[in-house]
Amino acid sequence: MSLTQKGRWITVVALGCLAAVYVRALAFTPLERLQGPAQKIFYLHVPAAIWTEAAMVLVGLAGIFYLFLKDPRLDRFAEASAEVGTVFATVVLTTGPIWGKPIWGTWWTWDARLTSTLLLFFLYVGYLLVRGAVRDAGLRARYAAVLGICGMCLVPFIHMSVYLFRTLHPQPIILKPSAPSLPSTMLATWLFSLATFTLLYVGFVTQRYALSLARDARGGGSPGHV
Amino acid sequence: MSDVPQNAGYMVAAYVVTAVILVAYAVSLYRRTNQS
Amino acid sequence: MGELIAQAWIVARKDLVLEFRTRTALVSAVVFTALVLTVFNFGRDPTAVPTIDLAPTILWVTFTFAAMLALNRAFQLELENQALEGLLVSPLSRTSLYWGKLIANLVFVAVVEGVGLPLFVLFFDVPVGSVLVPLIGVIALATLGFVAVGTLFSALVIRTRFAELLLVVILLPFLVPPLIGAVQVTARLLGGRPLSESVGYLKLLAAYDIVFVSLATFLFRFTVDE
Repeated sequence: MSLTQKGRWITVVALGCLAAVYVRALAFTPLERLQGPAQKIFYLHVPAAIWTEAAMVLVGLAGIFYLFLKDPRLDRFAEASAEVGTVFATVVLTTGPIWGKPIWGTWWTWDARLTSTLLLFFLYVGYLLVRGAVRDAGLRARYAAVLGICGMCLVPFIHMSVYLFRTLHPQPIILKPSAPSLPSTMLATWLFSLATFTLLYVGFVTQRYALSLARDARGGGSPGHV
Repeated sequence: MSDVPQNAGYMVAAYVVTAVILVAYAVSLYRRTNQS
Repeated sequence: MGELIAQAWIVARKDLVLEFRTRTALVSAVVFTALVLTVFNFGRDPTAVPTIDLAPTILWVTFTFAAMLALNRAFQLELENQALEGLLVSPLSRTSLYWGKLIANLVFVAVVEGVGLPLFVLFFDVPVGSVLVPLIGVIALATLGFVAVGTLFSALVIRTRFAELLLVVILLPFLVPPLIGAVQVTARLLGGRPLSESVGYLKLLAAYDIVFVSLATFLFRFTVDE
């Protein structure tokens, strides 16, 4: 089975799991009394946010290894991870406001997760733009690695600065979007969703990697982004 | 009677949007791979 | 170590001499700063919002613009004089090269800020007298962070298409954490709060500087070498 086929299979399974998550979250997980049905957005929003960030860390790690090992496979992986990370960021940035409006009364809240994901989104876009702007494959891989490493190192600072801002500026908190301890049924749904997003990441990255591989094999100088 | 907020519309919207984004990306990958 | 500094100074001096010989860039940046401050003045209602509340934001947005201008200008200088090629052929170490550029950019931005700060105080009638030293300290800390990352990215974009635009796009996420720190500390200083309240943010700024100056120093060679 080729890499593309493996990737497609994993993605199909992952999408199937996603459907299962939907059924479980919507029909078999209890309502949260304070927030109502809208709270269930949490089951998609948070796992997506976790993977948005994890994907950036992986882009950075791949970059570090690439600079030392110069293996083009690492660069292809980084490219794939960045694109998938952008997709997940889009999920977070769309579900966030849809969740925010009924709960906080406003479409956008500068809460820690949304703000971090927004910055990650910009990091991803910048990364992909730089990749798109360099013709030469070797140069592109090096530049991307540098930018990816810097992006990965920025993540803790994003968290630190947002945390400081939030704790030293108490916002009127009416509801906490995620309770500190979830009842076990809700936790199970959330974990199931996290596993599904993990599988989605793997499936998407595998396919995207295979796409880059195919384009490199054809000798195309195309950076492979849409 | 419980006073749970009636905001199911938002929940549906978010679930639909997520599905659209993820499926659209899967389709995009499929088509781009077939083109190459 | 001494060799490194000496070499860095040679590089810095070259850039600075070029800058100050023409003075156009410097004058433009200073005029730009004055203009931005002027625009801010007309963009607010002094009877509705006390100046002191907006002052830190106004100052830092202005300084951020000034830093971006300086980096773009340095980058233009590079292109016009093809100085980079010449420097790369020379036996200068990559670290000295980076430090030289960093120093030159810092001096440029420092001059612009040196004019901008008094103008700011004048236009917005902000009492900085008692907190001048800590304020200059914060400005220095934040500026170092901006310029360290910006100098690295300038080298990175120089061989890409749409370089100036790319520089801004990839740099902005990196400016957010130090900006948060800078604005918050400035607000506390101008509000007469004791320095102890700003410790968290100051640590953030210091950590950012240490991490990114080191990272940029290390990564610079990958943006210039074949």
